[in-house]
Amino acid sequence: MAVAESDFSLASRRRPRWSRHRVASAASPYGLLAPALVVLGVVLGYPLYLIARLSFEKYGLFELIRHKGRWIGLDNYTAIIHDSQFWHVLLRTVGFTAVNVSLTMVLGTAIALLLVRVSTVVRYMLTAALVFVWATPVVVAVDVWRWLVDPQFGLANWLLTKLHVGNFVHHDWFVNPWSGFGVITAVVVWGAIPFVAITVFAGLSQVPAELIEAAQIDGARAWNVFREVTLPLLKPIFVILVSLSIIWDFQVFNQIWIMLDQRPSADYYLMSVYSFVESFRISEYGLGSAIAVVMVLIMFGFTFVYVRQMVKAGEVR
Amino acid sequence: MAEIQFVHVSKVYGGDVTAVRDLNLQIAEGEFVVLVGPSGCGKTTALRMLAGLEEITAGEIRIADRVVNDLPPRERDIAMVFQNYALYPHKSVYENLAFGLRMRKVPRDEQRRRVEEIARVLGLGDMLNRRPAQLSGGQRQRVAMGRAIVREPKAFLMDEPLSNLDAKLRVQMRAEIARIQQALKVTTVYVTHDQVEAMTMGDRVAVMRDGELQQVDTPQRLYDAPANLFVASFVGSPPMNLFEASVRRDNGRLLCKVGDSEFELPADLEAGRPALGAYVGRSLAIGIRPEDVREASGWDGARLRGRILLVESLGSEQLVHIEFAAAPLERSDLVDTAAQPPGPSLGVGELEQAVTLLGRFDRHLLLTPGEAVEVAIDPRLLHFFDLETGLAIPSAVDTPVPAGVAG
Amino acid sequence: MSSATPIAPTPVAAVVRQGPSARRRLGLLGWNAAGIAVFVVMVFPVYWMVSTAFKTGPNIFSYSPKWLPVPATLANFGDAIHRQYFWQNVRNSLIVVGVVVVLSLTLAFLAALALAKFKFYGRRAFIVLIIAVQMVPLNALIIPLYITLSRAHQVNKLSGVIITYMTFVLPFTIWTLRGFILGVPRELEEAAMVDGTTRFGAFVRVLLPLVAPGLVATSIFAFIQAWNEYIMAYVLLSSPEKQTLTVWLASFTTNRGTAWGPLMAGATLTALPVVGFFLLVQRRIAFGLTAGAVRG
Repeated sequence: MAVAESDFSLASRRRPRWSRHRVASAASPYGLLAPALVVLGVVLGYPLYLIARLSFEKYGLFELIRHKGRWIGLDNYTAIIHDSQFWHVLLRTVGFTAVNVSLTMVLGTAIALLLVRVSTVVRYMLTAALVFVWATPVVVAVDVWRWLVDPQFGLANWLLTKLHVGNFVHHDWFVNPWSGFGVITAVVVWGAIPFVAITVFAGLSQVPAELIEAAQIDGARAWNVFREVTLPLLKPIFVILVSLSIIWDFQVFNQIWIMLDQRPSADYYLMSVYSFVESFRISEYGLGSAIAVVMVLIMFGFTFVYVRQMVKAGEVR
Repeated sequence: MAEIQFVHVSKVYGGDVTAVRDLNLQIAEGEFVVLVGPSGCGKTTALRMLAGLEEITAGEIRIADRVVNDLPPRERDIAMVFQNYALYPHKSVYENLAFGLRMRKVPRDEQRRRVEEIARVLGLGDMLNRRPAQLSGGQRQRVAMGRAIVREPKAFLMDEPLSNLDAKLRVQMRAEIARIQQALKVTTVYVTHDQVEAMTMGDRVAVMRDGELQQVDTPQRLYDAPANLFVASFVGSPPMNLFEASVRRDNGRLLCKVGDSEFELPADLEAGRPALGAYVGRSLAIGIRPEDVREASGWDGARLRGRILLVESLGSEQLVHIEFAAAPLERSDLVDTAAQPPGPSLGVGELEQAVTLLGRFDRHLLLTPGEAVEVAIDPRLLHFFDLETGLAIPSAVDTPVPAGVAG
Repeated sequence: MSSATPIAPTPVAAVVRQGPSARRRLGLLGWNAAGIAVFVVMVFPVYWMVSTAFKTGPNIFSYSPKWLPVPATLANFGDAIHRQYFWQNVRNSLIVVGVVVVLSLTLAFLAALALAKFKFYGRRAFIVLIIAVQMVPLNALIIPLYITLSRAHQVNKLSGVIITYMTFVLPFTIWTLRGFILGVPRELEEAAMVDGTTRFGAFVRVLLPLVAPGLVATSIFAFIQAWNEYIMAYVLLSSPEKQTLTVWLASFTTNRGTAWGPLMAGATLTALPVVGFFLLVQRRIAFGLTAGAVRG
């Protein structure tokens, strides 16, 4: 039975055209992006602006109650620049970051290389171990290590005494900041190695086998192959890993805070701890903000490197 | 330059997957040998064992009379050209070419001299500072070759180096590689799945299948005297026509029956092929090359009747698909394209068993699909094979050449 | 059988070399030994934590370490669970994590759609922003965050914490989902549109199911991040009944010392959900940050 033309035009008239139009504009990119941007703007954008402004204000307890700060210009910055503690803390943080990042990268890469060479069973075991360590929450990890270096019953003291490295009975690791930071570095590096190891391992498996074989045929020994072929190909990954590690290790807070029972002495201040203490303990939010701003600026430098590498790798299209 | 020998070489993976089975092959100094076969035939595995990139499960490989089984690749003094070129992406063309020399501690000026000369010969002179990513496919291929040549090794190993190039470039590079090899006279082992490449480039060609060497011979002899059904169907394009036939004796004459047709095999044929006598009263496989299938006018010998299915005009000739009654060969050792039963028949008249015959006809003939046609068969051009083993039924003269002796 | 006859003149002793040479096997053994050593070192602290959780008091506080938790006891776990506020804190953690996951997935999916499927002015800038924002040191922003939230009366409320957590969960989720969306061939949406859906309908009906693995991966990432977070929760939640599990762990240390047995038990419990989920998804999470960096 033939269908009349008019039936069709009736149907199309019946379908409301406005709904299609509305949906289309709601589906426009800005509309889709808006909710996420709003949240980010509120929780990130505004605080960023705020911290910049706070760093130029005096904001103590009095101001906190009144919800209003007092503009003092660059006074906070001059205060911290002239404060020798600031420079000590900055230097300490830089040194700490350098040591941690280096250890993490070297050990992580070494483990990645190991993963390539071991048999399948061992590789699974090792990967599982790395994943376990990675998944462990930082607070948990710190508590475990705190227990390990406990003066009376910690395993570390017992082991070192047993191995005749010295007399470690009842040795408190945190009396001396150097050994204290040794423990903290151990925790940080231990927790950071899995990410590096697994990422580098993934990168290694992306190196085309043919290139390695060609180098072997061309006469290169194992070390030469690594240096001439593997390393240059892994360079982008290393740039990213190092940037990320620097950014993360520079901001270390939890490990110090929990390791020292939320009461670190000044010798243990890193930048984030220092900023926190100045603000919440002493209630000098303006000063704390200035310190934090310095941190953020330093971080932006490394962020730039990271972003540039991602752009180069074609991730930004 | 050196002689290369495979002696009872086998490669087994994981205890039960055999990639190469008892390979025996001798390659003379300066010879260009091509390993050819379908994927999975073991040719690449054999090459990689020669290079030292795969462990040898059994047997010995010798280069210049020296057993190299336990030698790592860098001590075998061989050079390899990979399918994907394997150029170091972060090094310049110059550094790519010089890498092998650097690893062997060749003095710096000697490196420069050799690299620049090779670059000049290969037309890469003004690209020495570029990175591989900036080169075209053909240029990269030449750098890969240059890297091999500059080391002046005992042998070149090439693993399908042309398969990533487009057709025209491939033809060009084929000639260039052959030319270079002839000029340098370096022993070369070349792996490809393309039988045209194999035939045009090799001094001798080794056909492999399922890990076993089927036949090694000069290209012409492979074409004229294939040792078994597989080689017969693999070598030659378009492939040889193969089908089932039977032989009987009638009054001292040897008669060959194919489908409905029967024709006489001349006496001198039987004389030249005494082994054929054992097949009287039995079925066997027959092969005939498309160019030996002619239109029958003016021929007073054996004829086959069929119907034209399809005419493909190549310009220089016509490729005619003819359907005629015969029993097709259904064997796993045939390359797919040969002797398949035809598709839905165009013709009237149901044939119980039909085979598509490929013929190369003169380009001036007027041929239409559906037309009946008569095809001339010269029995002297037929190839005969045992139906069970697939082996060729040899003539007294044409014994397939054993693998051990150089062409 | 090959048609080639066996090889010629030079006499060949039937040399049968089976399997990899002894030298290579020794090398592999060495590497495996090293691998196992590394395994032990990495895993040991985790083992120590779990075994301490199961040890009896005297075994924990003994001068020479007891390697195995024999006899094993559940007393520490009992102690931990029965601490005041434990179940409330578990509930708080679950609420925070649940809301964060759902909210961030929704917002991130929409945003990722925008970044992946549309060309618009400022798109590249947004992408760079997303990448860069992950690097902002959150610890540095505690102060203004605290002040902002306190003005909005969100301090000591779970909602404040939830919003805060969105900062570090959203960018990564958007980024990863964008990657997954880009991986779905455009033809599928186009086929759906030809079949009658609107563009947005195609997004929901075609894309969403196909990026399900991405949703799973990012939700687990969000879960882990939100579950493990400490400093924000510590600052923002002052009353113990509002705190999350990570802050709860700090309550084991009083001025009388630390209750190590229950602490280890509590730590094990806190780590359990995370480790469990992580094992499900490890590789997929990891490399959003470094994806595609090796371009040979």
